[in-house]
Amino acid sequence: MKRMIFTLALMALGAGCGDDGAQQPVHDAQPVVDSAVDTPSTTPCFAGTPTTHEQIINACTNAEEIFKDTRPSLLNADGSLPPLPP
Amino acid sequence: MRGWIPILLLIAMARAAEAAPCDQLPNPVYLQVGDTQLNFMKRLGRALRDNAPRPVTLVFITSGSCPNIQAIYTRVPITGNMQYIPSIAESSAWTPSSPTLTCTAPTAGVVPDVANSALFNSACTTEAPPATVKLQQGAVQAYVMAVPVASSQVAITYEEAYFVFGFGAAGMIAPWIDEAQMFIRTVTKSTLLAWSANISVPADKWKGMRLDGSSMVVSALQTSTSAEKAIGILGVEVADNLRASLRILAYRAKGQRAAYYPDSTSTARDKKNLRDGHYTVWSPTIWMDTIDGSGNPVKPDARYVVDLIVGKTVTPAPSFSPLQSVAAVGLVPDCAMGVTRSFEGGPLSIYKPAQSCVCKYESLVQSTTCQSCSATQACASGTCRDGFCEVQ
Repeated sequence: MKRMIFTLALMALGAGCGDDGAQQPVHDAQPVVDSAVDTPSTTPCFAGTPTTHEQIINACTNAEEIFKDTRPSLLNADGSLPPLPP
Repeated sequence: MRGWIPILLLIAMARAAEAAPCDQLPNPVYLQVGDTQLNFMKRLGRALRDNAPRPVTLVFITSGSCPNIQAIYTRVPITGNMQYIPSIAESSAWTPSSPTLTCTAPTAGVVPDVANSALFNSACTTEAPPATVKLQQGAVQAYVMAVPVASSQVAITYEEAYFVFGFGAAGMIAPWIDEAQMFIRTVTKSTLLAWSANISVPADKWKGMRLDGSSMVVSALQTSTSAEKAIGILGVEVADNLRASLRILAYRAKGQRAAYYPDSTSTARDKKNLRDGHYTVWSPTIWMDTIDGSGNPVKPDARYVVDLIVGKTVTPAPSFSPLQSVAAVGLVPDCAMGVTRSFEGGPLSIYKPAQSCVCKYESLVQSTTCQSCSATQACASGTCRDGFCEVQ
């Protein structure tokens, strides 16, 4: 469900991350209200040949990894980010 | 008589301190570059002064990427003092850790022959480049968050950075809750704009102390009396040189499972995570020179310099390795990258350069497991280039 919300939010913003490289620059964009994401440290690394942004940044690696499972107190209840203060 | 000696010495020192006219230096090429590129300018400037096949003097000022773009788009002349690097004949003792020398720009000012932006131009302006300016993409630079070595902090996440710099103290992300200890940059600087695009905080909304130069951020971090609370943003070209006093934080991007350094470990210098996409905060450097109505460079020496910087084959071949100058300051040449993006902070995709230099690059910055090769020792697979079997 979380992933569906995330996908719908991206589609609504017209900033889809397809593989066709057709993204358009976003200048001085207001922060996108983040959708909830899985707890990072419980997400397994991607073991295949990465092709998408999400797979690339989460690909298995022998590099040093630092897991920091803090939860900022101002996060919304669903884990999304609140708008910036004016 | 003895009383005159100190006065005469002072006069002599004052004369020595007078800046020479820049246009009397050998083959000057005038540049306006980002201040994160200073270490690169020093190494390249030295090599080009002593480049026997085609000696060139890099005469430059540092400024923000956005003003640099405007300077060459709208032909804004540089006036006053500029910097340059001495040749070996001028100063054999000079090293890249020595200060630059000073010269004086021509009285009427001089429009830069070459301008540099340390991020995608589109992050500064939506204006298309004029027909008189040619853009080329050079090496990639990571941007980092750094803390004093006395701090116990080792990593920051996308969400934390959003609250730290978007909310300031009200973000309640300990220990970064003191806005007087958050050292950021002004809105025309690539360091701020690159981070801005990556943490979803618009450049003009950042909380913290806005400093004009990278050196000011460095100094503020190094002299902070609240090391645990202090944090600043820097180009990795600056931070890499200062690991004895500053610690680069690992960064966990939005949707990423762990935080990563630009390098494979906190002590490595291989930029592995930058090259394979695990460290996401980076931008290409863009190099611009002026062309005529036929598309030819107005100043061939300027094009020679830019072509060297972006890794093209030039004539005459230089007497030094431009790749070595790039790698030595923490920049990653395009030919060593495994990922790419098309706009500031944009999603990453897999990248295969036409002529890989991964093996050569790794041999320069750390070590490589690539097979070596030569005219008499062929590669089992791949292409023999610069002494190594590259994948393509």
